[in-house]
Amino acid sequence: METSRLPLSSSIRGKLISAGYTSLSSISSVSSTDLARDVNITESEAFEILKMANQVTCSGSSSLINGAKNAWDMLNEEEALPHITTSCSDLDKILGGGISCSDVTEIGGVPGIGKTQIGIQLSVNVQIPREFGGLGGKAIYIDTEGSFMVERALQIAEACVEDMEEYTGYMHKHFKASQVQMKPKDILENIFYFRVCSYTEQIALVNHLDKFISENKDVKVVIVDSITFHFRQDFDDLAQRTRVLSEMALKFMKLAKKFSLAVVLLNQVTTKYTEGSFQLALALGDSWSHSCTNRVILYWNGDERYAYIDKSPSLPSASASYTVTSRGLRNSSSSSKRVKMM
Amino acid sequence: MAPLKHLEMENPIIDACFRDFCSSHGILTVEDFLLHDIYELAALAERQENADRLKEGITVMLSLIEVKCRPWLNGMELLEDMQRSKHTLSSGDKETDSLLQGGLREGQLTELVGPSSSGKTQFCMQAAASVAEKQDGSVFYIDTGNSFSARRIAQFICGSSDAAALRKRVLSRISCHTVYDIYTMFDTLQGLEVALRSQVQKNVNEYRLRLLIVDSISSLITPILGGSGSQGRALMVALGYLLKKLAHEHNIAILVTNHTVGAGESGKTKPALGETWKSIPHVRLMLSRDNRNSNCTISILKHTSMPSGQTVKTTMTRNDNQQYL
Amino acid sequence: MANKLIGEMNLHKRISNIFAARNIITAKDALSMTEFELMELLDIGIKEIQSAVKLISEAASPPCLSAQSLLEQKVENEYLSGHLPTHLKGLDSALCGGIPFGVVTELVGPPGIGKSQFCMKLALSASFPKAYGGLDGRVIYIDVESKFSSRRVIEMGLKSFPEVFHLKGMAQEMAGRILVLRPTSLSDFTDSIQELKESILQNQVKLLVIDSMTALLSGENNPGAQRQQHQLGWHISFLKSLAEFARIPIVVTNQVRSQNRDETSQYSFQAKLKDGCQEHTRTYDSHLVAALGINWAHAVTIRLVLEAKSGERIIKVAKSPMSPPLAFPFHITSGGISLLSDEGTELKGPGINNIHARGHSDMINFNGDCL
Repeated sequence: METSRLPLSSSIRGKLISAGYTSLSSISSVSSTDLARDVNITESEAFEILKMANQVTCSGSSSLINGAKNAWDMLNEEEALPHITTSCSDLDKILGGGISCSDVTEIGGVPGIGKTQIGIQLSVNVQIPREFGGLGGKAIYIDTEGSFMVERALQIAEACVEDMEEYTGYMHKHFKASQVQMKPKDILENIFYFRVCSYTEQIALVNHLDKFISENKDVKVVIVDSITFHFRQDFDDLAQRTRVLSEMALKFMKLAKKFSLAVVLLNQVTTKYTEGSFQLALALGDSWSHSCTNRVILYWNGDERYAYIDKSPSLPSASASYTVTSRGLRNSSSSSKRVKMM
Repeated sequence: MAPLKHLEMENPIIDACFRDFCSSHGILTVEDFLLHDIYELAALAERQENADRLKEGITVMLSLIEVKCRPWLNGMELLEDMQRSKHTLSSGDKETDSLLQGGLREGQLTELVGPSSSGKTQFCMQAAASVAEKQDGSVFYIDTGNSFSARRIAQFICGSSDAAALRKRVLSRISCHTVYDIYTMFDTLQGLEVALRSQVQKNVNEYRLRLLIVDSISSLITPILGGSGSQGRALMVALGYLLKKLAHEHNIAILVTNHTVGAGESGKTKPALGETWKSIPHVRLMLSRDNRNSNCTISILKHTSMPSGQTVKTTMTRNDNQQYL
Repeated sequence: MANKLIGEMNLHKRISNIFAARNIITAKDALSMTEFELMELLDIGIKEIQSAVKLISEAASPPCLSAQSLLEQKVENEYLSGHLPTHLKGLDSALCGGIPFGVVTELVGPPGIGKSQFCMKLALSASFPKAYGGLDGRVIYIDVESKFSSRRVIEMGLKSFPEVFHLKGMAQEMAGRILVLRPTSLSDFTDSIQELKESILQNQVKLLVIDSMTALLSGENNPGAQRQQHQLGWHISFLKSLAEFARIPIVVTNQVRSQNRDETSQYSFQAKLKDGCQEHTRTYDSHLVAALGINWAHAVTIRLVLEAKSGERIIKVAKSPMSPPLAFPFHITSGGISLLSDEGTELKGPGINNIHARGHSDMINFNGDCL
């Protein structure tokens, strides 16, 4: 029943099938006027149906096997993909250079571990100009909890500019490098801030991002802080929540791929009863845990904050320590032997 | 098959008279024809003036239908077909191959179920690398979660000599497509089917497609399953059948991944996608990762020729298998 | 935004009629379903659904601001760039000026440590005119456990801000700006804060204090923690949106409870990493945690922990996006809370979240004493 696979309204689908058009070839062999008359639909609807049926049979074929993107081309592309630094070199090392673009990365941890700090740091670091090894892009910060403190963003932006100036100053001794043009004000100007107050707004914004980013092509990172908040309390029907969340996850994936940007989703934790004891796990359930490309879990280890790569298609499991200072995220002082590979 | 009038062009016997006769008995499409009692129709045709023409028309209809339907095969033919064209593909991991008596079988749909970060994507990439390298076949990788990593696949290739050229050869046989919703998935598979059919006709034998991987199928189906209507489930079943048809007709092994969901308060996890999906794959494997070390356990949930419950332990480390530049 | 009507967006008339016919009237109704479900329910093809959802989403999306304009707004419109000074110098500098506007600040600590004292002083200082470091506005004090005492407030005022209070009639007027509500049940509280939303701007309310949140929930005999968590969820969202909408600080106090033996604080992969790290030491007195659960802990923006350790009282900045984890020793005098030292000690590690109550039993409950 190939016709039932077409994305049509159920009544038109029903009409097509009961009129005998059960395969795509039967539809494509007929003209739109005949189809409209047979099936008792309008001519424009018939035209749409024909377009849909023909699209597949004609265009898709050759490109699929012969000219499609193969892994060799993708290898070169992958290696050229930029990464957004986290300002903590240990963390960058286990992440393969930083948060990778074209991926959806989920970062979760207990309250107070530094999720918002990482979010703000990334939204500043994505703007580091190309001459300094950054992406020179803009950031979208979607705040669902109201935890974005703009004073803190200013602190981090100022520290970033100072670091860049120090770097230029060092280089200046050897060759003439350009003066740092960026000011903290410019950095703040390039962070697009959205305050989301309900899950409806969150879903609406995710749908709208496609258009927004097409109009602001420099955006290279989308940070959602946090993805969980509204879905945790306002949704009563858990099955419905799973469906809506999986659709949202696919949309994020599509965005990341289409515009080659990094999507960073910050998540909260919950306690889960597994294997006979309570354990910490990221919120939103089992189905959501499959909706990201990479997952990083932040946790306390003794007196230090650590980050652990829980899921990644190409990075090995490892953990590294970091600290949160007044200038932002940095290596922890006792970091000499802390990068532990699994 | 279309309404009867479309058959007129190629079969002039099915002319307006015949069609009028049919419609007077409520037969407007081929399906109605099949549902109707043929003997009764023939008997009724006898009573008409142009009985012979009508009966000829009925015979022509029946022959057309026979052409469309699948040929009967007997057991011997099936066995021969299996031995000749449906080989087993190594999955790249020795323990899994020994568990599955050879590996992934062409013509079958194999499902890999596991909780998050248990290694499903790694398994898929390893299988892709193994098939592309050792079995001289091409691989079609459908990725729904941006988890395809060419770099990681390159690490799975373990040729000894002439590393760079080998890598290029192997990697160019793997093509990756990103799909983010079920309708695009259908379009992609349809296009693949058309391409494979035309390839068969042209008899091009370079790098025949041998493995199709969908990682993961559950992320495409979860948004449409459940809810008030049953169209979601219908689409899921249609997808399953399309995959199995592709596998059988073109001798491809298909590997799909599925995730697990919690099952109530008992805390046990079960595969997602529900009861209806359970019967669709030929082989179902469950992957679980021991958190204390990097061991994975693969167990058989369902297999066409082996008992379920057999398990094997394997180490799928996340480290580099070898250094390369 | 979520309740925007579909009929008012620029959808094609035919499509918006179809939506209305199926009782999908607001953006919330439309976006709570996946596109597939909408397609099935409304009997329209996917392309039309996608373009309709696109339009609805665009209309229901929140507006975009750049972070710079956010900062400028704060500096222009808000007093001291949106901070309420606590008059505790060390704490104020750690918090970049004081209790910030627009977010929920939590005070957590064992009973009798001084949370209500802190709140009362804060309420008083908020009512002062701007010249004296106040917000020149009304304060709403939701007093669940009847700890508020106006006499104490006036005493605090006389001792700490003598220059204000000795002006004629000032004391009465300041105290008069503090409105005390005493809800008897959770539903009572819910109704009051919903009404508040409308009247906050009209009545120049500049600070909302809830003392204590825990008492409200424990008063209810709810079956099981799940139900409680869910109810709390609504309140969390509402309080946060109230704070932001009205740009006022909201201060909430929370109590402590003992930790269950079952509660571990580990992830599944941490068992694997155990060999390299230090054991999580469990001392005798670190078995107290903040009540109200982990959801609540995620939702508050700033958490100040008050604790008693070896006879000394300490106030710690446990969670704050803009301050390092500092701890200050304090004591309670007749003039309210005052810091013993303005130089905080920085505490690294998760210890900042631990709540100690040792050596506390012999502390005088100041409230009971003075009346």
